[in-house]
Amino acid sequence: METYSIIFAIFLGGAVLTYFAGKLNSILQDILFLGSVLVPTYLFFSGVSFGSAMPFSLEGISLLWGIDHYSWLFALIVLGLGSLAAVYAIGYMKGKERKGYFYFNFILSVMSMLGIVVSQDLISFFIFWEIMTWSSYLMVIYNGKDIQRVGIKYFVFSAIGAYAMLMGIVIVHSITHTFFIEDMIQAYGHMSLQLQIWIPILFLIAFAVKAAMMPLHVWAPGAYSNAPMAYTSLFSGALSKMGVYGMVLILVTLVSRLPQGIWFREVLAWLGGITAAVGTLWAIKQDDAKKLLAYSSVAQLGYIITGVAIGTELGMLAGLFLAVMHALFKGTLFMAVGAIEKQTGTTNFTEITGLIRKMPWTFLASLMSIIALAGIPPLGGFVGKWMLYESLITSDHYLLVILIFFASTAGFLYCYKFLFGFFLGQEEKEWEHVKEAPATMVVPMILMSVFMFVLGTFPGIILKPINNGLMDLGFVDSYKHLWETSVIFNNWGDHVILQPILYSIIAIFLFFLILVVWKGYKGTRYVTTKDISTSGEVPKEDENLTFSVGFTQPFLRAVAPVMRRQIDKYYTEFAKGLEGLFEFMRRIYTGNAQTYALYVVVFVVIVLLFKDVLF
Amino acid sequence: MVNDKHSQKIVDFIQNWSRKHSIWVLAYGTGCGAIEIPPTMTSRYDAERLGVRGAATPRQADVLMITGYLTVKTLKRVIRVYEQMQDPKYVIGFGSCTINGGMYYDSYNTINVLDKYLPVDVYINGCMPRPEAVLSGFAQLQKRIAEGRADGATQYKENLEWYRANQKRIIPNWVMPEYNW
Amino acid sequence: MEEVLYNILGAVVTFIVAFVVGMTYGGLTRKITARVQNRKGPPFYQNFIDAFKLASKKTAIHHGVMHLMGPAFLMVTSVMTLLIVPVLAGNNWFPNLNFHGDLIFLLYIMTFGPLGMALGAGQTGNPNSAIGVTRGLSQMVGFEIPWVMSLVALMIQYHTTSITGLMEVQAQSGTWLMLSSPFAFIAAVMAMFGMFRYSPFDIVGAPTELASGPVSENGGKFLFVMMSAGSVFTFAKLTLYVDLFMGGASNLVVLLIKTFLLYMIPVLYGVTSPRYRTEQAVRWFWGWPTFFGFLAIIQAVILK
Repeated sequence: METYSIIFAIFLGGAVLTYFAGKLNSILQDILFLGSVLVPTYLFFSGVSFGSAMPFSLEGISLLWGIDHYSWLFALIVLGLGSLAAVYAIGYMKGKERKGYFYFNFILSVMSMLGIVVSQDLISFFIFWEIMTWSSYLMVIYNGKDIQRVGIKYFVFSAIGAYAMLMGIVIVHSITHTFFIEDMIQAYGHMSLQLQIWIPILFLIAFAVKAAMMPLHVWAPGAYSNAPMAYTSLFSGALSKMGVYGMVLILVTLVSRLPQGIWFREVLAWLGGITAAVGTLWAIKQDDAKKLLAYSSVAQLGYIITGVAIGTELGMLAGLFLAVMHALFKGTLFMAVGAIEKQTGTTNFTEITGLIRKMPWTFLASLMSIIALAGIPPLGGFVGKWMLYESLITSDHYLLVILIFFASTAGFLYCYKFLFGFFLGQEEKEWEHVKEAPATMVVPMILMSVFMFVLGTFPGIILKPINNGLMDLGFVDSYKHLWETSVIFNNWGDHVILQPILYSIIAIFLFFLILVVWKGYKGTRYVTTKDISTSGEVPKEDENLTFSVGFTQPFLRAVAPVMRRQIDKYYTEFAKGLEGLFEFMRRIYTGNAQTYALYVVVFVVIVLLFKDVLF
Repeated sequence: MVNDKHSQKIVDFIQNWSRKHSIWVLAYGTGCGAIEIPPTMTSRYDAERLGVRGAATPRQADVLMITGYLTVKTLKRVIRVYEQMQDPKYVIGFGSCTINGGMYYDSYNTINVLDKYLPVDVYINGCMPRPEAVLSGFAQLQKRIAEGRADGATQYKENLEWYRANQKRIIPNWVMPEYNW
Repeated sequence: MEEVLYNILGAVVTFIVAFVVGMTYGGLTRKITARVQNRKGPPFYQNFIDAFKLASKKTAIHHGVMHLMGPAFLMVTSVMTLLIVPVLAGNNWFPNLNFHGDLIFLLYIMTFGPLGMALGAGQTGNPNSAIGVTRGLSQMVGFEIPWVMSLVALMIQYHTTSITGLMEVQAQSGTWLMLSSPFAFIAAVMAMFGMFRYSPFDIVGAPTELASGPVSENGGKFLFVMMSAGSVFTFAKLTLYVDLFMGGASNLVVLLIKTFLLYMIPVLYGVTSPRYRTEQAVRWFWGWPTFFGFLAIIQAVILK
């Protein structure tokens, strides 16, 4: 019981200490920062046991903190990614200003996310939710640019979500008179139908904002790309998962008791699918790596939402497995972008090319995570995608599966664009000086790549905790015995046995690697990328032959009609309309005391004239 | 086994046979001769039945075909293309202009004798050579390949200094990567 | 242990058969194209000569590690596809890994190679290569839609996602899926046009505008490996179609006849067609093929 108090005390104290330590010594600050993320992580995984809850009361309101297998899974995402991102942040923040500000908010974010998953009552849930929103908002405006556009947008949408949730909490409390989530679930069955419909909607709005679901996603691209990359890996990897966490909780515990709940699921699943497709299309269009990954995050969250919204056990497994995978590969990708940004100063595909020989480790990590993102077999992304498709097909979502498939095939375009834009293509003289990022940045990326590979071979490692979590949520465990052998299979009994396939791939790959590559490597020598067939022309050293502007133009031309509509525009129109209304209101307040006197006179006259009618 | 003289002979024979029957041509369309290539490749004369086929880039090509006069400006590009091709490679000089300058023998900006700048394996005479002549040229090249006498590339390597001197005499601003295959 | 050795031996035999058949088909395609164009055309074994010549050519240069690994990626994908697709039903010489995977796995493993190849093409630094790759990926987004629709239709109609399961369905009912699910077959065949990249969908190679696109910096042994991988891949894909829609094959002759007939559809369509622009190609696949895909799904839902 003490562990929770110690963990959160270390988080809070560490945050404050780290902030002020910057005044003394930079290295001390780094160590304090690492300590205040890693020590609670260690304490959590060694000291906290399942099923044990810590009740306490605050100002007369009784609260409850505890953990079950389901929230443990998300704690794993938060703390695992959090510690790796913290190690990365040390390297990333070296030499940057306002380190204290960054570290403070970073620690608070990790703390609040952990707080969300351990909260068993709505009040602490809401408080931690707000701390999370605020710390991430402060991170979004860290760079000080685009505060007006990006920061306000994020803030407004977060506020909408938070108010919706607050409203839900108040309604629940007015009925149950306690704040425990357990009681809310108990009381839900006896509520009137109207409330049964509205309470999940209010909560789902809050969670959908954080999970960046269409049409509430418009804050995401700007916020993800504006925050420092060391934080964005956590922002996109773990913070957006909090939305998924809540969504699953609401869907499984509340909506599934409702006979009409099927509509919630269908709408959510379709919104997820549309999010995936539209997010992918917009990701393809971006020329900035941060924006590309941001839209890609939106799209990936779409898959996850679809998976959890279908609600079959396989779909749930797929969604949660993809959530873990997304934390891994999107975390790595944002880290890679951060490394490139640090070494070159820009993240624009049209400016950088040919870093593969200069930053080989970053390339390797990016390659692995791109393969996982695309869902190509040897890595873990495939397992999630496979389960998602199978669950969609076996649960009669035939058109949705086509939509998801379209999104993931179109995803190859931006996957390739990312790799080509940064690492492949012409090696320009401009970037000759670029060196590999420091070890503190490379090691977390490589570690996460290894995890991705391991999860592709032995998905049972993570499927087992997910399964345990689902059992805690009330699912019947029908697959258990097969997770041990890392076989994934669907309701119809078709299955994929990963290990023999993986071994065959590796064997064949090694065979051809030795036969073709090694022999070729020995027999050939390296020539620069200027030595290409350019119709006999000899390119000069500084001549730019890179193809990166309008990279996916042909495809975008094919899908142009879809992309003409932007939700952002509708919101802007709405905001403009409101502004016009306010402008009209402002006219009334002219600032002239004489006018106000006139108003008073007019008011008195009206009252006097119509006093019989009014009173 | 490969060092064994007889087996080497057999391997050479098979390789030469396959090279002979699979000629991928990079038609460097200089001058007016390029117009004779389409009829050679299409229905009427159909060079593909001899295994002759167009190649898109120098990396894939076996034969560089110089179709007509070469201006000084083009010569530089042609040399570059030739040096980018992979061994074994051959050059076909096409039309009178590549032999002695043809009707441009006194032009101020064309070269007269191609052989001074690139090792030509087969010349095709004529102004223009008709497709029959082109096919006969290919047949001649095939014969030389089969006999192992189409060794222009080796000669180019051996006499590189002489070729370079000739090339540099014509091309005023020489900024080319070194040829070191 | 002995079983594993036999399996490896069988896999090698499968590979050789696929290589020979694929190469011969390539040669026959050239011959048929020539005959359609009123030419004599090269002999049917021309592709073997070309392959041998390419293998015997010297390869002196490379552009980096990914450039070297690109062909290997392609080869691995071809072999994996070949191993997962059941070549001959109930023949010990053609073992397969199908009992380990299923159709969706196959779809994804088939995209593995082109992406690896694209990385190799990217590292050469030739702008044409990258243009070719983006065109290829765009086209893939195009034809995957009707292709997946047709596969989904089959899956939901027969409640299985494995290839052997679908083959069993055909063996039990005695009719080919081509006849019992005609719309799925039509959609799949239309998707096949994009898969085999003959005209009018040869936008990736496009020798006249892109200088053969992704392979433009690859000559000699690189090209040899790609060519063999392509041949094996062609055979594997054709066999997959035969397995799915034409009831598979019990001996090699039947398989060859069926695959050859199927192969002629894109070839003959291509011989007389000019080339599409990329967006035209993509939209073509989202037109009639997708419509037939919808019909297939509707049919499957009704008959389920």
